[in-house]
Amino acid sequence: MSLLSSPDGNAEARGVGIGLRACHYGKFLGSHPPTDWVEVHSENYFGDGGYDLHVLEHVRSQYPVSLHGVALSLGSADGVRAAHLAKLKRLADRIEPALVSEHLCWGALGPRHFNDLLPLPYTREALAQIVSHVTQVQETLQRRILIENVSSYLQFRAHDMSEFYFLAELAKRSGCGILLDVNNVFVNSVNHGFDPGQALLEIPTQAVDEIHLAGHSAAGELLIDDHGSRVAPQVWNLYETACRRFGPVPTLIEWDTSIPPLDILLDEAAMAARISQAACA
Amino acid sequence: MRDLAALQARFAAGLDAPVPETGTQDLFVGGTEQVRQRLGIYRGNARANAAKALAAAYPVIEKIVGPEFFSGLASEYQSRIPSVNGDLNEYGEAFAGFLADFPPAREIPYLADVARLEWRVHRAHYAADPGRFDPARLALVPPEHQLQLRLRLHPACHVLQCAYPVARIWEIHQDAFSGEFAVEFSGRPTNALVYRPRFRVEVAQISDAEAVFLRAASDGQTLDAALAAAQLSDATFNLGRMLSEWVQSSVIVDFGLNGE
Repeated sequence: MSLLSSPDGNAEARGVGIGLRACHYGKFLGSHPPTDWVEVHSENYFGDGGYDLHVLEHVRSQYPVSLHGVALSLGSADGVRAAHLAKLKRLADRIEPALVSEHLCWGALGPRHFNDLLPLPYTREALAQIVSHVTQVQETLQRRILIENVSSYLQFRAHDMSEFYFLAELAKRSGCGILLDVNNVFVNSVNHGFDPGQALLEIPTQAVDEIHLAGHSAAGELLIDDHGSRVAPQVWNLYETACRRFGPVPTLIEWDTSIPPLDILLDEAAMAARISQAACA
Repeated sequence: MRDLAALQARFAAGLDAPVPETGTQDLFVGGTEQVRQRLGIYRGNARANAAKALAAAYPVIEKIVGPEFFSGLASEYQSRIPSVNGDLNEYGEAFAGFLADFPPAREIPYLADVARLEWRVHRAHYAADPGRFDPARLALVPPEHQLQLRLRLHPACHVLQCAYPVARIWEIHQDAFSGEFAVEFSGRPTNALVYRPRFRVEVAQISDAEAVFLRAASDGQTLDAALAAAQLSDATFNLGRMLSEWVQSSVIVDFGLNGE
Protein backbone atom coordinates (compact mmCIF):
# COMPACT_ATOMS: atom_id res chain seq x y z
CA MET A 1 0.00 0.00 0.00
CA SER A 2 1.29 3.42 -0.82
CA LEU A 3 2.12 5.63 2.14
CA LEU A 4 1.87 8.83 0.21
CA SER A 5 -1.09 9.78 -1.87
CA SER A 6 -0.62 13.03 -3.67
CA PRO A 7 -2.75 15.64 -1.90
CA ASP A 8 -6.05 16.24 -3.63
CA GLY A 9 -4.87 15.27 -7.09
CA ASN A 10 -5.09 11.51 -6.83
CA ALA A 11 -8.83 11.06 -6.59
CA GLU A 12 -8.96 7.51 -7.85
CA ALA A 13 -9.48 4.73 -5.32
CA ARG A 14 -6.97 1.89 -5.85
CA GLY A 15 -5.73 -0.82 -3.54
CA VAL A 16 -7.30 -1.32 -0.13
CA GLY A 17 -9.19 1.30 1.86
CA ILE A 18 -10.86 1.39 5.23
CA GLY A 19 -14.16 2.78 6.47
CA LEU A 20 -13.57 6.07 8.29
CA ARG A 21 -15.59 6.30 11.51
CA ALA A 22 -15.76 9.13 14.06
CA CYS A 23 -13.70 7.28 16.68
CA HIS A 24 -10.69 7.39 14.34
CA TYR A 25 -10.98 11.07 13.34
CA GLY A 26 -8.15 12.01 15.70
CA LYS A 27 -5.72 9.62 13.97
CA PHE A 28 -6.57 11.08 10.57
CA LEU A 29 -6.23 14.67 11.78
CA GLY A 30 -3.00 14.11 13.69
CA SER A 31 -1.17 11.73 11.37
CA HIS A 32 -1.33 10.06 7.98
CA PRO A 33 -2.48 6.47 8.56
CA PRO A 34 -1.21 4.15 5.81
CA THR A 35 -4.40 3.39 3.91
CA ASP A 36 -4.88 3.78 0.16
CA TRP A 37 -8.30 5.43 0.43
CA VAL A 38 -11.23 5.82 2.80
CA GLU A 39 -14.97 5.35 2.61
CA VAL A 40 -17.61 7.10 4.71
CA HIS A 41 -21.36 6.79 5.08
CA SER A 42 -22.74 9.70 3.07
CA GLU A 43 -25.62 10.44 5.45
CA ASN A 44 -23.22 11.19 8.32
CA TYR A 45 -22.09 14.24 6.34
CA PHE A 46 -25.48 15.63 5.30
CA GLY A 47 -25.18 18.62 7.64
CA ASP A 48 -24.63 22.18 6.43
CA GLY A 49 -21.26 22.31 8.17
CA GLY A 50 -19.56 21.44 11.45
CA TYR A 51 -16.93 19.04 12.67
CA ASP A 52 -17.71 15.92 10.62
CA LEU A 53 -17.50 17.81 7.34
CA HIS A 54 -14.37 19.60 8.52
CA VAL A 55 -12.70 16.24 9.16
CA LEU A 56 -13.94 14.78 5.87
CA GLU A 57 -12.59 17.73 3.91
CA HIS A 58 -9.23 17.35 5.62
CA VAL A 59 -9.18 13.62 4.87
CA ARG A 60 -10.23 14.32 1.28
CA SER A 61 -7.17 16.57 0.88
CA GLN A 62 -5.01 13.54 1.78
CA TYR A 63 -6.80 10.49 0.36
CA PRO A 64 -9.29 9.46 -2.31
CA VAL A 65 -12.72 9.31 -0.64
CA SER A 66 -15.67 7.09 -1.43
CA LEU A 67 -19.20 8.18 -0.44
CA HIS A 68 -21.23 5.13 0.52
CA GLY A 69 -24.94 5.86 1.04
CA VAL A 70 -27.15 3.78 3.28
CA ALA A 71 -30.55 5.45 3.05
CA LEU A 72 -31.37 6.56 -0.50
CA SER A 73 -33.80 3.64 -0.76
CA LEU A 74 -33.30 3.05 -4.47
CA GLY A 75 -35.67 0.10 -4.50
CA SER A 76 -38.72 1.90 -3.11
CA ALA A 77 -41.80 1.49 -5.27
CA ASP A 78 -42.61 5.17 -4.73
CA GLY A 79 -39.22 6.36 -5.91
CA VAL A 80 -36.19 8.17 -4.55
CA ARG A 81 -36.77 10.96 -2.01
CA ALA A 82 -35.83 14.19 -3.78
CA ALA A 83 -34.59 15.92 -0.60
CA HIS A 84 -32.27 13.02 0.21
CA LEU A 85 -30.88 12.95 -3.31
CA ALA A 86 -30.35 16.73 -3.18
CA LYS A 87 -28.29 16.37 0.00
CA LEU A 88 -26.22 13.62 -1.58
CA LYS A 89 -25.58 15.84 -4.58
CA ARG A 90 -24.55 18.74 -2.36
CA LEU A 91 -22.11 16.46 -0.53
CA ALA A 92 -20.71 14.96 -3.72
CA ASP A 93 -20.19 18.45 -5.18
CA ARG A 94 -18.36 19.47 -2.02
CA ILE A 95 -16.15 16.37 -1.61
CA GLU A 96 -15.57 15.36 -5.26
CA PRO A 97 -15.38 11.70 -4.27
CA ALA A 98 -13.58 8.95 -6.15
CA LEU A 99 -16.63 6.70 -5.86
CA VAL A 100 -20.29 7.04 -4.96
CA SER A 101 -22.23 3.93 -3.99
CA GLU A 102 -25.57 2.76 -2.63
CA HIS A 103 -27.38 -0.51 -1.94
CA LEU A 104 -29.60 -2.93 -3.80
CA CYS A 105 -32.43 -2.55 -1.33
CA TRP A 106 -35.24 -0.36 -0.10
CA GLY A 107 -35.77 1.32 3.26
CA ALA A 108 -38.56 3.85 2.91
CA LEU A 109 -42.16 3.81 1.80
CA GLY A 110 -44.54 6.75 1.86
CA PRO A 111 -43.49 9.02 4.70
CA ARG A 112 -41.89 6.19 6.72
CA HIS A 113 -38.14 5.53 6.74
CA PHE A 114 -36.94 2.32 8.40
CA ASN A 115 -33.27 3.35 8.23
CA ASP A 116 -32.36 -0.18 7.29
CA LEU A 117 -31.37 -2.12 4.17
CA LEU A 118 -34.48 -4.16 3.40
CA PRO A 119 -34.40 -6.87 0.72
CA LEU A 120 -36.19 -6.55 -2.62
CA PRO A 121 -38.24 -9.12 -4.49
CA TYR A 122 -36.09 -10.03 -7.51
CA THR A 123 -38.90 -9.56 -10.01
CA ARG A 124 -38.92 -7.99 -13.46
CA GLU A 125 -41.09 -5.17 -12.11
CA ALA A 126 -38.69 -4.38 -9.25
CA LEU A 127 -35.78 -4.48 -11.71
CA ALA A 128 -37.47 -1.99 -14.05
CA GLN A 129 -38.18 0.33 -11.12
CA ILE A 130 -34.69 0.27 -9.65
CA VAL A 131 -33.11 0.69 -13.10
CA SER A 132 -35.10 3.88 -13.49
CA HIS A 133 -34.18 5.12 -9.98
CA VAL A 134 -30.47 4.40 -10.46
CA THR A 135 -30.63 6.19 -13.82
CA GLN A 136 -32.28 9.18 -12.16
CA VAL A 137 -29.55 9.31 -9.48
CA GLN A 138 -26.76 9.01 -12.05
CA GLU A 139 -28.30 11.83 -14.09
CA THR A 140 -28.67 14.03 -11.02
CA LEU A 141 -25.14 13.40 -9.78
CA GLN A 142 -23.76 13.50 -13.33
CA ARG A 143 -21.71 10.39 -12.61
CA ARG A 144 -21.82 6.63 -12.52
CA ILE A 145 -22.65 5.07 -9.18
CA LEU A 146 -21.96 1.61 -7.76
CA ILE A 147 -24.66 -0.63 -6.31
CA GLU A 148 -23.94 -3.11 -3.53
CA ASN A 149 -25.57 -6.49 -2.84
CA VAL A 150 -26.95 -6.56 0.74
CA SER A 151 -27.13 -9.22 3.42
CA SER A 152 -30.63 -10.50 3.95
CA TYR A 153 -32.56 -12.64 6.38
CA LEU A 154 -35.75 -12.99 4.35
CA GLN A 155 -36.37 -13.89 0.71
CA PHE A 156 -39.56 -12.94 -1.08
CA ARG A 157 -41.53 -15.81 -2.56
CA ALA A 158 -42.17 -13.57 -5.56
CA HIS A 159 -39.08 -13.70 -7.77
CA ASP A 160 -38.22 -14.05 -11.45
CA MET A 161 -34.45 -14.33 -11.11
CA SER A 162 -31.61 -14.79 -8.61
CA GLU A 163 -30.19 -11.91 -6.57
CA PHE A 164 -26.96 -11.80 -8.57
CA TYR A 165 -28.60 -12.09 -11.96
CA PHE A 166 -30.84 -9.19 -10.87
CA LEU A 167 -27.79 -7.13 -9.83
CA ALA A 168 -25.94 -7.92 -13.08
CA GLU A 169 -29.02 -6.90 -15.09
CA LEU A 170 -29.30 -3.67 -13.12
CA ALA A 171 -25.68 -2.86 -13.96
CA LYS A 172 -26.19 -3.72 -17.63
CA ARG A 173 -29.38 -1.69 -18.05
CA SER A 174 -28.51 1.38 -15.94
CA GLY A 175 -24.78 1.50 -16.64
CA CYS A 176 -24.01 1.49 -12.92
CA GLY A 177 -21.09 -0.47 -11.51
CA ILE A 178 -21.29 -3.26 -8.96
CA LEU A 179 -19.96 -2.98 -5.43
CA LEU A 180 -19.58 -6.63 -4.56
CA ASP A 181 -19.81 -7.24 -0.82
CA VAL A 182 -18.14 -10.62 -0.49
CA ASN A 183 -19.20 -10.99 3.14
CA ASN A 184 -22.83 -10.39 2.13
CA VAL A 185 -22.55 -13.06 -0.59
CA PHE A 186 -21.32 -15.50 2.03
CA VAL A 187 -23.90 -14.49 4.66
CA ASN A 188 -26.74 -14.89 2.15
CA SER A 189 -25.38 -18.21 0.90
CA VAL A 190 -25.74 -19.56 4.43
CA ASN A 191 -29.03 -17.81 5.22
CA HIS A 192 -30.72 -18.84 1.99
CA GLY A 193 -28.77 -21.94 1.07
CA PHE A 194 -26.85 -21.42 -2.17
CA ASP A 195 -23.29 -21.89 -3.38
CA PRO A 196 -21.45 -18.55 -2.99
CA GLY A 197 -18.84 -19.44 -5.63
CA GLN A 198 -21.63 -20.10 -8.16
CA ALA A 199 -23.19 -16.75 -7.28
CA LEU A 200 -19.99 -14.95 -8.29
CA LEU A 201 -20.19 -16.61 -11.72
CA GLU A 202 -23.49 -14.82 -12.38
CA ILE A 203 -21.67 -11.48 -12.33
CA PRO A 204 -19.80 -10.46 -15.49
CA THR A 205 -16.03 -10.21 -14.96
CA GLN A 206 -15.89 -6.51 -15.94
CA ALA A 207 -18.89 -5.37 -13.88
CA VAL A 208 -17.32 -5.11 -10.41
CA ASP A 209 -15.72 -1.78 -9.47
CA GLU A 210 -15.35 -2.18 -5.73
CA ILE A 211 -15.33 -4.99 -3.17
CA HIS A 212 -16.42 -4.82 0.47
CA LEU A 213 -15.14 -7.07 3.23
CA ALA A 214 -16.47 -7.18 6.80
CA GLY A 215 -17.10 -9.51 9.69
CA HIS A 216 -20.37 -11.23 10.55
CA SER A 217 -21.71 -13.09 13.57
CA ALA A 218 -23.87 -16.17 14.00
CA ALA A 219 -27.27 -16.32 15.67
CA GLY A 220 -28.17 -19.99 15.64
CA GLU A 221 -28.10 -21.12 12.04
CA LEU A 222 -28.50 -17.57 10.77
CA LEU A 223 -25.57 -15.28 9.96
CA ILE A 224 -25.93 -11.63 10.93
CA ASP A 225 -24.04 -8.99 8.95
CA ASP A 226 -23.01 -6.85 11.93
CA HIS A 227 -19.62 -5.53 10.75
CA GLY A 228 -18.36 -6.13 14.26
CA SER A 229 -15.38 -8.47 13.89
CA ARG A 230 -12.52 -9.56 11.65
CA VAL A 231 -13.28 -10.98 8.22
CA ALA A 232 -14.13 -14.70 8.55
CA PRO A 233 -11.79 -17.34 6.99
CA GLN A 234 -14.47 -18.52 4.52
CA VAL A 235 -14.97 -14.92 3.41
CA TRP A 236 -11.23 -14.49 2.82
CA ASN A 237 -11.40 -17.62 0.63
CA LEU A 238 -14.33 -16.24 -1.29
CA TYR A 239 -12.47 -12.92 -1.65
CA GLU A 240 -9.57 -14.77 -3.25
CA THR A 241 -12.00 -16.37 -5.71
CA ALA A 242 -13.50 -12.93 -6.41
CA CYS A 243 -10.03 -11.41 -6.99
CA ARG A 244 -9.23 -14.12 -9.55
CA ARG A 245 -12.49 -13.49 -11.35
CA PHE A 246 -12.75 -9.70 -11.16
CA GLY A 247 -9.11 -8.64 -11.07
CA PRO A 248 -7.47 -6.01 -8.85
CA VAL A 249 -10.62 -4.18 -7.75
CA PRO A 250 -10.41 -1.50 -5.01
CA THR A 251 -11.32 -3.22 -1.76
CA LEU A 252 -12.67 -1.83 1.49
CA ILE A 253 -12.55 -3.09 5.07
CA GLU A 254 -15.76 -2.14 6.89
CA TRP A 255 -16.21 -2.21 10.67
CA ASP A 256 -19.23 -0.55 12.28
CA THR A 257 -19.96 -2.09 15.68
CA SER A 258 -17.39 -2.53 18.48
CA ILE A 259 -14.94 -0.63 16.29
CA PRO A 260 -11.36 -1.68 17.15
CA PRO A 261 -8.18 0.43 17.19
CA LEU A 262 -7.13 1.66 13.75
CA ASP A 263 -4.20 -0.78 13.66
CA ILE A 264 -6.58 -3.74 13.55
CA LEU A 265 -8.37 -2.23 10.53
CA LEU A 266 -5.03 -1.58 8.83
CA ASP A 267 -4.01 -5.15 9.59
CA GLU A 268 -7.17 -6.46 7.90
CA ALA A 269 -6.47 -4.14 4.96
CA ALA A 270 -2.92 -5.52 4.67
CA MET A 271 -4.35 -9.05 4.58
CA ALA A 272 -6.72 -8.04 1.76
CA ALA A 273 -3.83 -6.47 -0.16
CA ARG A 274 -1.75 -9.68 0.15
CA ILE A 275 -4.61 -11.87 -1.07
CA SER A 276 -5.48 -9.54 -3.94
CA GLN A 277 -1.88 -9.22 -5.09
CA ALA A 278 -1.30 -12.98 -4.98
CA ALA A 279 -4.58 -13.75 -6.76
CA CYS A 280 -4.06 -11.14 -9.47
CA ALA A 281 -0.35 -11.82 -10.03
CA MET B 1 -48.85 -11.11 -4.83
CA ARG B 2 -46.10 -9.59 -7.00
CA ASP B 3 -46.78 -5.86 -7.22
CA LEU B 4 -43.73 -4.09 -5.72
CA ALA B 5 -45.68 -1.33 -3.98
CA ALA B 6 -48.07 -3.87 -2.43
CA LEU B 7 -45.25 -6.17 -1.33
CA GLN B 8 -43.41 -3.28 0.29
CA ALA B 9 -46.55 -1.95 1.97
CA ARG B 10 -47.17 -5.34 3.58
CA PHE B 11 -43.53 -5.75 4.58
CA ALA B 12 -43.63 -2.23 6.09
CA ALA B 13 -46.83 -3.03 7.99
CA GLY B 14 -45.18 -6.16 9.37
CA LEU B 15 -42.19 -4.11 10.57
CA ASP B 16 -44.33 -1.55 12.37
CA ALA B 17 -47.00 -3.89 13.73
CA PRO B 18 -47.11 -4.10 17.54
CA VAL B 19 -46.43 -7.86 17.33
CA PRO B 20 -44.51 -9.66 14.59
CA GLU B 21 -47.24 -12.18 13.74
CA THR B 22 -49.21 -9.88 11.49
CA GLY B 23 -49.87 -11.70 8.31
CA THR B 24 -46.64 -11.09 6.40
CA GLN B 25 -45.51 -14.72 6.55
CA ASP B 26 -46.88 -15.66 3.16
CA LEU B 27 -44.65 -13.03 1.47
CA PHE B 28 -41.47 -14.88 2.33
CA VAL B 29 -39.77 -18.19 1.75
CA GLY B 30 -39.66 -20.45 4.82
CA GLY B 31 -41.83 -21.85 7.59
CA THR B 32 -44.02 -19.67 9.80
CA GLU B 33 -41.70 -19.74 12.79
CA GLN B 34 -38.58 -19.10 10.71
CA VAL B 35 -40.15 -16.14 8.92
CA ARG B 36 -41.47 -14.72 12.21
CA GLN B 37 -37.99 -14.93 13.72
CA ARG B 38 -36.26 -13.38 10.73
CA LEU B 39 -38.82 -10.60 10.43
CA GLY B 40 -37.99 -9.96 14.09
CA ILE B 41 -34.39 -9.16 13.10
CA TYR B 42 -35.56 -6.42 10.74
CA ARG B 43 -38.03 -5.10 13.32
CA GLY B 44 -35.21 -5.01 15.86
CA ASN B 45 -32.79 -3.28 13.44
CA ALA B 46 -35.21 -0.48 12.63
CA ARG B 47 -35.95 0.14 16.30
CA ALA B 48 -32.32 -0.15 17.38
CA ASN B 49 -31.17 2.32 14.72
CA ALA B 50 -33.75 4.90 15.76
CA ALA B 51 -33.03 4.32 19.46
CA LYS B 52 -29.31 4.85 18.81
CA ALA B 53 -30.10 8.13 17.07
CA LEU B 54 -32.19 9.31 20.04
CA ALA B 55 -29.45 8.38 22.50
CA ALA B 56 -26.92 10.31 20.39
CA ALA B 57 -29.14 13.40 20.37
CA TYR B 58 -30.17 13.25 24.05
CA PRO B 59 -27.18 12.10 26.12
CA VAL B 60 -28.11 14.28 29.12
CA ILE B 61 -31.68 12.95 29.23
CA GLU B 62 -30.20 9.44 29.16
CA LYS B 63 -27.90 10.30 32.07
CA ILE B 64 -30.73 11.83 34.09
CA VAL B 65 -33.17 8.93 33.71
CA GLY B 66 -30.66 6.07 33.30
CA PRO B 67 -30.23 3.82 30.25
CA GLU B 68 -33.07 1.45 31.09
CA PHE B 69 -35.76 4.11 31.46
CA PHE B 70 -34.34 5.95 28.45
CA SER B 71 -34.67 2.87 26.32
CA GLY B 72 -38.34 2.65 27.36
CA LEU B 73 -38.83 6.31 26.45
CA ALA B 74 -37.12 5.77 23.09
CA SER B 75 -39.32 2.81 22.35
CA GLU B 76 -42.54 4.66 23.23
CA TYR B 77 -41.42 7.71 21.23
CA GLN B 78 -40.75 5.58 18.16
CA SER B 79 -44.15 3.99 18.36
CA ARG B 80 -45.75 7.43 18.39
CA ILE B 81 -43.38 9.23 16.01
CA PRO B 82 -41.48 6.86 13.72
CA SER B 83 -38.53 7.99 11.62
CA VAL B 84 -39.38 9.66 8.32
CA ASN B 85 -35.88 10.72 7.29
CA GLY B 86 -32.95 8.82 5.81
CA ASP B 87 -30.65 11.04 7.84
CA LEU B 88 -31.03 9.76 11.40
CA ASN B 89 -29.27 12.87 12.71
CA GLU B 90 -32.59 14.60 12.05
CA TYR B 91 -34.63 12.09 14.03
CA GLY B 92 -35.98 13.04 17.45
CA GLU B 93 -37.08 16.63 16.96
CA ALA B 94 -40.38 16.10 18.79
CA PHE B 95 -38.85 14.31 21.79
CA ALA B 96 -39.30 17.32 24.13
CA GLY B 97 -42.98 17.55 23.29
CA PHE B 98 -43.33 13.83 23.83
CA LEU B 99 -41.65 14.04 27.26
CA ALA B 100 -43.94 16.90 28.26
CA ASP B 101 -46.91 14.77 27.33
CA PHE B 102 -45.90 11.31 28.55
CA PRO B 103 -46.95 10.78 32.20
CA PRO B 104 -43.98 8.63 33.33
CA ALA B 105 -41.56 11.30 32.03
CA ARG B 106 -43.50 14.17 33.61
CA GLU B 107 -42.45 12.97 37.03
CA ILE B 108 -39.18 14.79 36.33
CA PRO B 109 -40.62 18.22 35.57
CA TYR B 110 -37.54 19.74 33.90
CA LEU B 111 -36.97 16.82 31.52
CA ALA B 112 -38.82 18.35 28.56
CA ASP B 113 -36.90 21.62 28.91
CA VAL B 114 -33.58 19.77 28.96
CA ALA B 115 -34.66 17.91 25.81
CA ARG B 116 -35.49 21.21 24.06
CA LEU B 117 -31.98 22.39 24.86
CA GLU B 118 -30.35 19.12 23.80
CA TRP B 119 -32.09 19.16 20.42
CA ARG B 120 -30.63 22.62 19.74
CA VAL B 121 -27.21 21.43 20.87
CA HIS B 122 -27.50 18.37 18.62
CA ARG B 123 -28.54 20.38 15.55
CA ALA B 124 -25.90 23.04 16.25
CA HIS B 125 -23.30 20.34 15.61
CA TYR B 126 -24.40 20.20 11.93
CA ALA B 127 -24.97 23.92 11.36
CA ALA B 128 -23.09 25.74 8.60
CA ASP B 129 -19.64 27.26 9.17
CA PRO B 130 -19.83 31.02 8.67
CA GLY B 131 -16.70 33.13 8.42
CA ARG B 132 -15.55 35.02 11.49
CA PHE B 133 -16.66 38.57 12.26
CA ASP B 134 -14.46 41.05 10.43
CA PRO B 135 -13.74 44.11 12.59
CA ALA B 136 -12.10 45.89 9.64
CA ARG B 137 -15.42 45.85 7.81
CA LEU B 138 -17.13 47.35 10.84
CA ALA B 139 -14.52 50.13 11.00
CA LEU B 140 -15.61 51.22 7.52
CA VAL B 141 -19.16 51.95 8.72
CA PRO B 142 -19.50 55.62 9.73
CA PRO B 143 -20.31 55.86 13.47
CA GLU B 144 -23.62 57.61 12.77
CA HIS B 145 -24.79 54.56 10.80
CA GLN B 146 -23.61 51.90 13.21
CA LEU B 147 -26.84 51.73 15.19
CA GLN B 148 -28.64 50.87 11.95
CA LEU B 149 -26.63 47.67 11.53
CA ARG B 150 -28.38 44.33 11.60
CA LEU B 151 -26.24 41.73 13.33
CA ARG B 152 -26.03 38.19 11.98
CA LEU B 153 -25.87 35.35 14.43
CA HIS B 154 -24.00 32.10 13.82
CA PRO B 155 -26.48 29.56 12.36
CA ALA B 156 -25.73 27.24 15.30
CA CYS B 157 -26.93 29.86 17.82
CA HIS B 158 -30.20 29.56 19.60
CA VAL B 159 -31.73 31.24 22.64
CA LEU B 160 -34.18 29.23 24.73
CA GLN B 161 -36.31 30.42 27.58
CA CYS B 162 -37.11 27.67 30.05
CA ALA B 163 -38.92 27.36 33.35
CA TYR B 164 -35.92 25.49 34.79
CA PRO B 165 -32.16 26.26 34.93
CA VAL B 166 -31.42 23.97 31.96
CA ALA B 167 -28.02 25.44 31.10
CA ARG B 168 -26.80 24.47 34.59
CA ILE B 169 -28.46 21.04 34.41
CA TRP B 170 -26.78 20.48 31.04
CA GLU B 171 -23.41 21.68 32.36
CA ILE B 172 -23.24 19.34 35.37
CA HIS B 173 -24.08 16.33 33.18
CA GLN B 174 -21.16 16.87 30.79
CA ASP B 175 -18.46 14.19 30.95
CA ALA B 176 -15.76 16.77 31.62
CA PHE B 177 -17.65 18.49 34.47
CA SER B 178 -15.77 18.30 37.76
CA GLY B 179 -17.47 20.95 39.92
CA GLU B 180 -20.15 20.48 42.54
CA PHE B 181 -23.05 18.37 41.25
CA ALA B 182 -25.78 20.76 42.37
CA VAL B 183 -28.48 22.88 40.75
CA GLU B 184 -30.24 25.80 42.36
CA PHE B 185 -33.92 25.87 41.43
CA SER B 186 -34.98 29.48 41.95
CA GLY B 187 -38.42 29.08 40.42
CA ARG B 188 -37.63 31.89 37.94
CA PRO B 189 -37.46 31.23 34.20
CA THR B 190 -33.94 31.12 32.78
CA ASN B 191 -32.37 31.71 29.38
CA ALA B 192 -29.93 29.35 27.75
CA LEU B 193 -27.72 30.27 24.80
CA VAL B 194 -26.52 27.50 22.48
CA TYR B 195 -23.47 28.53 20.46
CA ARG B 196 -20.57 27.00 18.57
CA PRO B 197 -17.32 28.98 18.65
CA ARG B 198 -15.71 26.59 16.18
CA PHE B 199 -16.75 22.94 16.17
CA ARG B 200 -17.61 22.29 19.82
CA VAL B 201 -21.11 23.26 20.84
CA GLU B 202 -21.34 25.27 24.08
CA VAL B 203 -24.23 26.23 26.36
CA ALA B 204 -24.37 29.28 28.63
CA GLN B 205 -26.98 30.73 30.91
CA ILE B 206 -27.60 34.34 29.91
CA SER B 207 -29.55 37.23 31.39
CA ASP B 208 -33.04 38.31 30.29
CA ALA B 209 -31.61 41.42 28.63
CA GLU B 210 -29.02 39.40 26.72
CA ALA B 211 -31.71 36.98 25.59
CA VAL B 212 -33.97 39.83 24.47
CA PHE B 213 -31.11 41.43 22.55
CA LEU B 214 -30.05 38.23 20.77
CA ARG B 215 -33.61 37.31 19.88
CA ALA B 216 -34.20 40.79 18.43
CA ALA B 217 -30.94 40.59 16.47
CA SER B 218 -31.79 37.14 15.22
CA ASP B 219 -35.23 38.42 14.11
CA GLY B 220 -33.40 40.92 11.89
CA GLN B 221 -34.00 44.03 13.98
CA THR B 222 -31.45 46.86 13.86
CA LEU B 223 -28.81 47.26 16.55
CA ASP B 224 -30.76 50.31 17.72
CA ALA B 225 -34.01 48.42 18.16
CA ALA B 226 -32.34 45.38 19.77
CA LEU B 227 -30.52 47.66 22.20
CA ALA B 228 -33.72 49.50 23.13
CA ALA B 229 -35.47 46.18 23.78
CA ALA B 230 -32.58 44.94 25.94
CA GLN B 231 -32.42 48.18 27.93
CA LEU B 232 -36.12 47.94 28.61
CA SER B 233 -35.39 44.64 30.30
CA ASP B 234 -32.25 45.91 32.08
CA ALA B 235 -31.24 49.58 31.99
CA THR B 236 -27.63 48.67 32.78
CA PHE B 237 -27.24 46.37 29.71
CA ASN B 238 -23.70 47.02 28.47
CA LEU B 239 -23.75 46.82 24.68
CA GLY B 240 -20.00 47.30 24.10
CA ARG B 241 -18.99 44.57 26.51
CA MET B 242 -21.56 42.08 25.22
CA LEU B 243 -20.77 42.71 21.55
CA SER B 244 -17.10 42.10 22.11
CA GLU B 245 -17.85 38.91 24.05
CA TRP B 246 -20.27 37.65 21.39
CA VAL B 247 -17.90 38.41 18.53
CA GLN B 248 -15.15 36.63 20.46
CA SER B 249 -17.27 33.50 20.91
CA SER B 250 -18.67 33.60 17.34
CA VAL B 251 -22.23 34.20 18.49
CA ILE B 252 -22.19 37.23 16.18
CA VAL B 253 -20.42 36.49 12.91
CA ASP B 254 -21.42 39.27 10.54
CA PHE B 255 -23.61 42.29 9.99
CA GLY B 256 -25.63 43.95 7.26
CA LEU B 257 -26.45 47.58 6.61
CA ASN B 258 -29.43 49.12 4.80
CA GLY B 259 -31.34 45.90 4.50
CA GLU B 260 -28.40 43.85 3.10
